[in-house]
This record gives sequence, structure tokens and C-alpha cells, in this order.
Amino acid sequence: MLRSALLAVTLALAAPIAAAQGTVRIAILGPMAFVQGENHWAGAEMARDEINKAGGINVGGRRMQVELIRADTNEIQSVPDATNAIERVITRDKADFLIGGFRSEAVLAMQEVAMDYKKIFLGAGAAHSKLGLNVEQNYERYKYWFRVTPVKDVDLARTLFAVLNSIGSQIRTDLKTDAPKVAILAEKAVWTEALVAAAQKNLPAMKMEVVGTWQPSATATDVTAELSAIDRSGAQIVFTMLSGPVGISVGRQMGERNMKAVAWGINVEGQKEEFWQAAAGKAQFVSTLDTYSEVEMTPKTIPFVRAFKERFKKAPTYNAATYDAIMILKAAIEQAGSTAADKLVPVIEKMEHVGTAGTDTWDKRHDLVWAVGRTAGIAVQWQDGKKVPFWPPDVKGMQPFKMPKQ
Amino acid sequence: MYLLRRAWAELRDEVLALPSRTLVLAWVVALLALPAVYGDPYVMRILTMSCLFAIFAASWDLLAGYTGQVNFGHALFFGAGAYTSALVSLKLGVTPWASVFAGAAMATLCGFLAGYLCLRLRGSYLSLATLAFPLIALGLLFAFPDFSGGELGISGLRRLTPSATGNYYVAAVSMLLVVFGLWRLADSRFGLVLHAIRDDEVAARASGINTPRYKLLAFAVSAAAAGFAGALFAHYLRVAGPSTLEVALSFQVVIWGIFGGVATIYGPVAAVFILYPLTEWLGSFRAFGELRLLIFAVIVLLVLLFMPRGLAPWLRDKIETQCPRCKQRNTFYRKICRLCGAALQAQVPGAQRLVGHQ
Repeated sequence: MLRSALLAVTLALAAPIAAAQGTVRIAILGPMAFVQGENHWAGAEMARDEINKAGGINVGGRRMQVELIRADTNEIQSVPDATNAIERVITRDKADFLIGGFRSEAVLAMQEVAMDYKKIFLGAGAAHSKLGLNVEQNYERYKYWFRVTPVKDVDLARTLFAVLNSIGSQIRTDLKTDAPKVAILAEKAVWTEALVAAAQKNLPAMKMEVVGTWQPSATATDVTAELSAIDRSGAQIVFTMLSGPVGISVGRQMGERNMKAVAWGINVEGQKEEFWQAAAGKAQFVSTLDTYSEVEMTPKTIPFVRAFKERFKKAPTYNAATYDAIMILKAAIEQAGSTAADKLVPVIEKMEHVGTAGTDTWDKRHDLVWAVGRTAGIAVQWQDGKKVPFWPPDVKGMQPFKMPKQ
Repeated sequence: MYLLRRAWAELRDEVLALPSRTLVLAWVVALLALPAVYGDPYVMRILTMSCLFAIFAASWDLLAGYTGQVNFGHALFFGAGAYTSALVSLKLGVTPWASVFAGAAMATLCGFLAGYLCLRLRGSYLSLATLAFPLIALGLLFAFPDFSGGELGISGLRRLTPSATGNYYVAAVSMLLVVFGLWRLADSRFGLVLHAIRDDEVAARASGINTPRYKLLAFAVSAAAAGFAGALFAHYLRVAGPSTLEVALSFQVVIWGIFGGVATIYGPVAAVFILYPLTEWLGSFRAFGELRLLIFAVIVLLVLLFMPRGLAPWLRDKIETQCPRCKQRNTFYRKICRLCGAALQAQVPGAQRLVGHQ
């Protein structure tokens, strides 16, 4: 009796030590009370379960399991909370790697803490260029930072214009016009300012005519004034930059007014599964930038999206590319045979990783190299209640882009 | 030797004789000795933040608690300090040791300006007007993104010292100096005038006090301390962003102030040192960490329900009683006053509640 009790105690004491030796500890940092953090965590869980089921990560011949640490950064509400969270996972929870982040201001502050401790930090949410610029300006300090998703803000704009160009050429042939008319509809917010300026400058060069710029509030519930003005201007494309609930109003009211123009751009509400319902089934042909859909961006995309939907009853958002981030770490660790950050940095720099969201390579800022069909993301259009992917057109599974009846 | 004996006598008679002062002394010693005893970087970060927010909370108390100018936009001064120090240090290459004072100076200017604009407003009108100032500042920052860094703010700032321990001591010593300074100020003749203005401005004016001047001074001093805290905060996080001007921060400081007890200076400081680590600690629990704001709100509500004057005055009344004759404070278990010998317990049954309260 005594002997077995002693044995049990010894085992109980030894078990965590043995487990600690055999795990790679990855901290997932995100605003866990919000949809962004939910997706960070969900993507990471998928990767962890897949790796651990297959026997773990092979570190120089030793099999190590992946252990995730969930860290709520609360960064949408408080920047200091985010830095506290990252300090906690590094010093208390002894995380080996850091993945996540969403709000650029908070990620910048977290980046500083991670670099103080020379920990690899894979960004999975913030788009601001400054994060990568740091790597270029002070490589020795910031080399442990890599961006896995999304592409940097400048490249997001490149995608927007690339898709706009392809919609423009479709309109040119369909409607037999030389210069398609574009109305810019951007919510009144800081993030849209640079985009609006870029659009006003670039569109004439792309042989499109800007008929006007309208800027409703991000929370507007009625955009009748803007839409009727757009109608009168004879616009064929409504170039949207909407992150707030106004995206729903635009979708619904464009349908109610039977507008001849088609909406393309960023519409964050339009990326959500619930959008069609929220817009009362009226948001026919509204299109937006997106990351995941059941198309063959890479051979891994469709299986991932299906497994994700089955497990979480929701489609993944771009933050779920934490899955890719963990897979990148796994590949790098197995190639280097070590979990030492300094050995992994050169490996990731040279790596070409086929992930679920695209095929990733990194430039000297440790930003994703932008390329259509690889990292540029996809464009989707709502057609009869379904989110249909249509761009880039040469990817398998893409469907035609549709225009309202003229 | 004489000096040592004198110091010990002072300590025994002036500090150790009162539990509240003993508590403060123990807290100061613990704060200064912590890195040597328990150098955990996470704990040091939390306490560094607590120190910076404590300066901020104490500065709010001088303005709102003592002078009665309840400021709902105190983040304006915090943000002004943070941004000014960041810009001065980054664009002009000035060492952060100097730029934090530039931040405080700019905040003082903002304090004068805000105070001047609000001179004729009182009560809730003043609070609502002050609420608007940080929003205006945010609008200005977003209007000139090349200058202010827009949504991202100004990043890549230098730290005051490279090590975590160094930064901790910078924050702790600054906090002790500023808070002690504010407390002395509030206890001086200047503080008395502020009290008078809060309780009855007309009477104060009738007594020959130039109330607008005092109100402006209170705004400026309070803003200077808040700006100093903001500047230290920016250099500690190495980012000065729009979050330093957010409405949430302005309200946070009101919560700290009221939770700890207004018009005390030490109350809001105690509140920060209790509430800030508490929210962090709650957040470390997996099961309910994400509900921490809810739990936080419940705790604050309960404290305010049962201790309507705030935590620090409530606690002080429990452990000390005031002499009805000479108004000096005594440990709660004493029967007679340590200074004048008057009886501390009421002689008449039922009159107890009249004794020992201010």
C-alpha cells in the first residue's frame, strides 16, 4: 500500500517534468473575447491536434508534442494589457514561440517585448507596414519577427486594385464602355484615408473614371443619400472600404434599390457567414476581399476549410492562419533540428511554405512576398445566399463574377 | 549618534504610532526592496505599470477630489505628455531623461488651456466639457498622420534605462516623489484653498481668494503630473499611440479615484496598486480569465456599496480614531489620545458614532 502510494507520488511529480521536457510551448496571443482571438485560437488548436496525433514535432530525432498557451491580450481595449500578457507567457509560462496579435498599435508594443527576450514572434493579424520596417531598419534586434497573415497594408491595396482591374475589364467587354465609372464609398475612418487617396490617384491611370467619393459613418444604418447620389452619377462599380456595420446597410440597400452598379472592395461584414441574413437576403452580388474559401489556393486549403467548418461550425477568418504559423514553425524546427530562435530565423527566411491560406515566402522585412495566387488572398461575391469565390480566376474552384441586370 | 537617535524617535512617534503610516512605510520599503528579493520580470512589469498609473490617478485626485473639478478627460494630459515626449525624443534626438520633462511641460500647458476654457463651468457641465478634450486631441492626431503617426502612434522610442530593474526603479522612485509631493501640496495652505473652492466657491471668493487663479494652478499641477506619467509610460512601452488618449483611460482613472477614496491622494494610489494587479491576476485564470472585466466591475460595485467614501478612508477609520479634542489621529485600540490625553471613547452610550469620524 505504502509502496504503491510512494510510486504514485513519484510518478505524479515526475510526469510534469517529463512532459515539460517533451513539449514545444507555443503561446497564442489574441483578443480572446472577440472573433479575431477566437479564430487565432481555433486555427492553432487544429494545428496542435494534427501535429500531436501524428506523433509531434521531430526535433533532431526527438519527438516533441505541441503545447498551446492561450493568452488573452485584450488588445482591442487596452494596449498595456497586451504587453502584460506577452511578458507573462514568456517569463511565467515559459513559451518558446509567440503567435498572434491583431491591433497594430498593440502588436508594435508586443513586438518590443518579444524582441527583448529574443523570441520568435509570428504575426497573425496586424497589417501595418511599420512592423516589417523595423526588421529592415534594425535587423539584429527585430529579426525574430515574421508576418504570416495578412500581407502588409500596402499589398492589401495592391490586391484591391488588381481585382478592380479585372472587374473593370469584364465591364468593358460586357457593357462596351471604355472607361468604367467608379464611385468610392469609404467609411469615415483613419484607415480608409490612404486608400481613398490612392484610389483617386490610381483609377484614372487604370482607365477608370472616378465619379465621386462618399464617406458615411462606419455605423450608419441608412445610406440612402449616398446610394441615390451614386445611382445618379451612373457609376458601374461601387468601390467599398467598409469595416463597420455600415457594410450591412450598403449591401441591403443596394439590393432594395435594384442598383445597376456592383460593389467591390473591403467589406468586413460581407466576409462573415451571417452577412446574407443580416442584409435581409438583399445583398446580391456584393463582393469583398477574403482569405479562406473552398477553392484550391493550395492543396491544403479545401481540407482545412472543411475540417474547420465541421469542428467549429463556422468558416475560418484570416486570423485562423495561426494554423499556418504553427506548421511553419514545425517545418523550420524539423529542418534546423533545434528550437533555438537564432537557428530558426535563417531557415524561415529561406523557406517556401505551402500553407492553407497561400504559398508563403518572406522578403528582407520578413513580410510576405505579395503575388497573385500565392499570398494575395481571394475575392468573393455573394450570389443567391452563397459566398462564391471568383478571383484570382486561374485558381481551381473559382466561379464567374456576376453583374446585376442592366 | 544623536541624529540616529533623533531619527528613530521621529520614526517611533510620528510613523509607527499610527497604523496607516506604518502601512505606507511598509509599502514603500517593499516597493523599493522588491527587485532584490523577488526579481520576477512579469511582476516587475505589472508593478511598473501600477506605479505609472498611480501617478496618473493621484494627479486626477488633486484636481477632482481636492478642487472638485471632476475631470472626465484626464487622458488628455496623459496623452499630451506621451506624444510630446515621444516626438521630442525621436525627432530632435533628445535623451528621454529630458524629453519626459518636455512632456510634462506640454501637459501643463494643456492643463492651463483646458482649465481656462472651463473656468466658468461647474459640476456635470465641467465634466462633460472636459470629456471632449481628449476626443479633440485624437481628431487632431488623426488629421495629421505624418506628424503623429496616425492610428499607429509613434513607435521605436528609447527606454530610460535598458534593464527591467532600471525601468522599475525609475517608475517607483518617480511615483514616490510625485505622489509624496502631491500629498504635501494637498496638505498645505494651497490644498486648504482647493478644499474651500470645492466646498463653496462663492464663500472662498468672498474670503478674498482668487479662485480662478487657484483653479488654473490646480489644473496645471495636476496636468503636469499626469503628463509626466504619460511620458514615462510612452518610453516604457516604447510606443505613444492613440490608446493614451482613449475615453476608457479617462474613465479608468475616475474608477481608481472613487474606489480608493477621493481627496486623499493616497486613496487612488492604493486603488491602482490593488485593482491593476488584481485584474491581471484574474486574467491569469484560464477558466474565467476572459470574464475579468465583469468580475472587476462587481468588486468595484461591492466596495462602493459598502464603503461609499472609498477604500482608503474606510480602512483608515477602522484602524484609527480621531481625537475629539485635538483632532489628531490615534490607533483604534487606544483609550486616550496620545497627544492631548483626551478620552477617545464616548462617555455617553449611543454617542459613539459621533466620535472618530471627520
